[in-house]
Amino acid sequence: MRDWLQCIAACSAMTFASTFAAQAEPLNVVATFSIIGDFAAEVGGERIALKALVGPDSDSHVYEPRPADAMALAQADVVLTNGLEFEGFMTRLIASSGTQAEIATLTDGIETMEEPGGGHYHYNNGQAIFHAGAHDPHAWQSVANAKAYVRNIAAAFCAADAEGCPVYEINATRYADALDVLDAEIRGLVATLPGDRRTVVVAHNAFRYFEVAYGIHFLSPQGVSTESEAAAADVAGLIREIRETGAAAIFAENISDTRLLERIAAEAGLTLAGTLYSDALSGPEGPAPTYLAMMRHNAGVIAAALDAI
Amino acid sequence: MYRQLAGATAMAMVLAGTAFAQEHDHDHEDVTLYRVFVGDHAAPRVTVVDLEAHDHEEEGHDHADESWTFETTGQVKLFGVAGGAVVAAVQSDDDAVHFFTSGISFHDHGDHADIEVSDPAAINTVLTGPRPFHLVDHGGSVIINYDQGGYAEIIDAHHLSHGEVEITRLPQSEPHHGFVARLGDHWLTTVGTPAPAEGKEAAPRPGLQEVTIAGEAVGDLATCTAIHGEAFSGAYLAAGCREGVLTATAGADGVVFDMLEYPADLPQGVTTGTILGATGVQVFLGNYGPNGLVVIDPADAPHFRYIELPFRRVDFVLDPANPAHGYVLTEDGSLHRLNLLQAAITGSAKVTEPYSMDGHWNDPRPRIAMAGDDILMTDPDAGLLRVISAETLEEEDTIALEGTPYNLAVVGGSGMTH
Ligand SMILES: [Zn+2]
Ligand SMILES: [Zn+2]
Repeated sequence: MRDWLQCIAACSAMTFASTFAAQAEPLNVVATFSIIGDFAAEVGGERIALKALVGPDSDSHVYEPRPADAMALAQADVVLTNGLEFEGFMTRLIASSGTQAEIATLTDGIETMEEPGGGHYHYNNGQAIFHAGAHDPHAWQSVANAKAYVRNIAAAFCAADAEGCPVYEINATRYADALDVLDAEIRGLVATLPGDRRTVVVAHNAFRYFEVAYGIHFLSPQGVSTESEAAAADVAGLIREIRETGAAAIFAENISDTRLLERIAAEAGLTLAGTLYSDALSGPEGPAPTYLAMMRHNAGVIAAALDAI
Repeated sequence: MYRQLAGATAMAMVLAGTAFAQEHDHDHEDVTLYRVFVGDHAAPRVTVVDLEAHDHEEEGHDHADESWTFETTGQVKLFGVAGGAVVAAVQSDDDAVHFFTSGISFHDHGDHADIEVSDPAAINTVLTGPRPFHLVDHGGSVIINYDQGGYAEIIDAHHLSHGEVEITRLPQSEPHHGFVARLGDHWLTTVGTPAPAEGKEAAPRPGLQEVTIAGEAVGDLATCTAIHGEAFSGAYLAAGCREGVLTATAGADGVVFDMLEYPADLPQGVTTGTILGATGVQVFLGNYGPNGLVVIDPADAPHFRYIELPFRRVDFVLDPANPAHGYVLTEDGSLHRLNLLQAAITGSAKVTEPYSMDGHWNDPRPRIAMAGDDILMTDPDAGLLRVISAETLEEEDTIALEGTPYNLAVVGGSGMTH
C-alpha cells in the first residue's frame, strides 16, 4: 500500500514534469558571436536556450569552430548569423552539423557598404590577416542597423515558434526603444565635440558604419602585409594621414593585439586613449558586456579622448 | 567638417543580397574534376587517371577518361601538396622524392573559383637523400624529413606550385624517424636519440622541440615519448605519444604545448601514432590500437572519444567536404562511415575481399582517399581503383589499373571555366 501511494506521488510527479518540459521546451538558438547573441537574449528572453559560438573578446574572423559548436548547431531550431561573409567558418560548420535549423542572416535588408579594397585587415599575434569580402560586415556599429538585426531576429523566432511570437514582438519593441535612446545619446555626445576634432585611429577598419551614422572619422592601416617592408611603408602612409587630418586619439581594440597600434602611436606621437569594442562584447566583468553598454562605452571613450584638450 | 570627411570616404551604398550571383551567369561552365595519382606496389611507377562526373547510364565501364604514366625510382607514398597543384612521391626505400605538377589549379575570386586544367607533368628536380619519410604540408611550407640524414628539407609551397623546387635544409641533432612542421612563424622538430650501443635498443624519441631554421633549440623540449604522426586542424598541431596526444598552438608569446593524456576509460596499453586533422571543424581522428580510433578534441573536454572497430583497421580518411565524417576500411573488406561528432560508426558496407592485417605493414593492402562525394579505394589484389559513393557506400565505378595499385593521392575539385 505504501509502495502504491509512493508510486502515485512519484509517477504523477514524473508525468507532470515531462508535460511541463514539453510545454516549456525552450527554442534552441545558436548565435554566431557575442553581439548578436546579446540581441537574441533581449528578444528571446526566457523562451530561448542560447549558445553564442564566438565568445567575448574573440575575433570571429579567425575563429576555429569546435565539435561542440557543430553539435549545438545540429540541435538548433534557429541559427542567427551576421552574413556578409563575416563568419567565414559557418558554411562548413553548417555542412558538418547537418543542421535542419532555419539560418537567419541578420543583415538582410540593411543598406550595406562596399569594402573599398575587397576586404579588411585584422591583427593577431603580430600578424596581419586579410579578411576578404565584398561588403563591410560590421553593420552593427550603427544603432539603426542594430534595430534591423533585432527585427530580423524577432521574425526568425516567430517563424520557428509561433506560440511565442507575441512575446518576441513585445521584447523586440521594448529593446528597439532602448536602441532609440542609445542612438540619440551617441548623437548628443558627438555634437558636443569641437568640429575639427572628429578623427581617431584604430587598428582594424571596423567602424565605417559608426562613421557614417555619427560623424566620427576613423583612420586605420590599410593593406598592411606581413612582409615587413610593406608594413613599414603602409604605417608611414598612415602616420602621414594622421598628421594631415589632425587625428587626435588612437584606440586599442578588444579583439586585436596592440603591438601594431603601439608602434603607430609611438611614431605619431600619440598615446593609446583606451579600448574600443568592435566585433565582440567584453566579458561580464568588462565595460561592454551588452550591446547597449558596448556602444555607450565606445562613444564615451571616443568623446572623452577628443574632448581632452 | 563631417560633410567633407564623409565625402572623402567615398563610400558606395549597395543593397545587400544583390551580390554577385548573376555576374557569371553567361559564358561560363561549372567543372568538377578529380585527378587520381596511384603508385604501384612493386613497379617504380605512378599512374594518373581523371575521374569525370559519373554518368550512371553507363555504369561499370572500366576505363578512365584519360590516363598518364610516370616512372619513379621505387615504390611511392603520394601526397597532394601546395593546394593540390603538385603531387609529391616520397620513396623511403629508394632515397628519392619526385614531384608532379597535377595540372589542376584554382584561382580564387571570392565568390567563385576558376579551375584550370592541363596535363600532369613530372617536375625535373628530384630530391635524393637518406630515407625521406614523413612529409608535412602546412603554413606555406612542404617539409620532408630524412630519417637517416639528420635533417629535413623545406620547400616553399608557392614556388613549388609553379614547379620550382628550392630547398632550405633544417638540421636536427640526431637522425630519426620523425617530422618537421611549421606553425605560424615557428619551426618544430621531433627529437631523436643517439644511436644505441651494439645490441642495445634505441631509446624512444623524447618529444617535440621548437627550433630556429638553423636547428638551434628555442625554449624547452615538450615531452612526447616515442612521438609519431602529426596533423593540423584549426589552430592546433597534434602528435601521438606514449602518454597521450601532444598539441601545439602559436600563441602571442611563442608556441604553447599541451599534453592531453589518454584517459583511464580508454583501452590501456595502446597509443595513437597516426593522426588526421579535419578541415572546417577543429578536431582530429587518430588510430588507437589495431582495432580502434579516437576522436580528439584539442580544446574541449572530453579530449578523447573512442570508436571501437569490428575488425582491425586497414586505412582511414577524413572527408574534407563534410568535416563531421570519416571513413575507415577494416580487414574484413568493409568500409565504415564514422560520425566524428557522435564518435560512432553510422554505416558499413562490404566493398572488397578481405585483406588480413597479419604480416608486414607495407604488404599490398587497399588505401582510401576522398574525391568529392566519392571514396576512392585501391584494390591491389584485384588490380582496380574502386569508386564508392560516400553517401550510400555502394560501388559506382571501377577503373582497371596495371600491376598492383597501392598508395594514392587525389587532387581537384570544382570550379568555373570562362
Ligand atoms: Zn572585423
Ligand atoms: Zn612514421
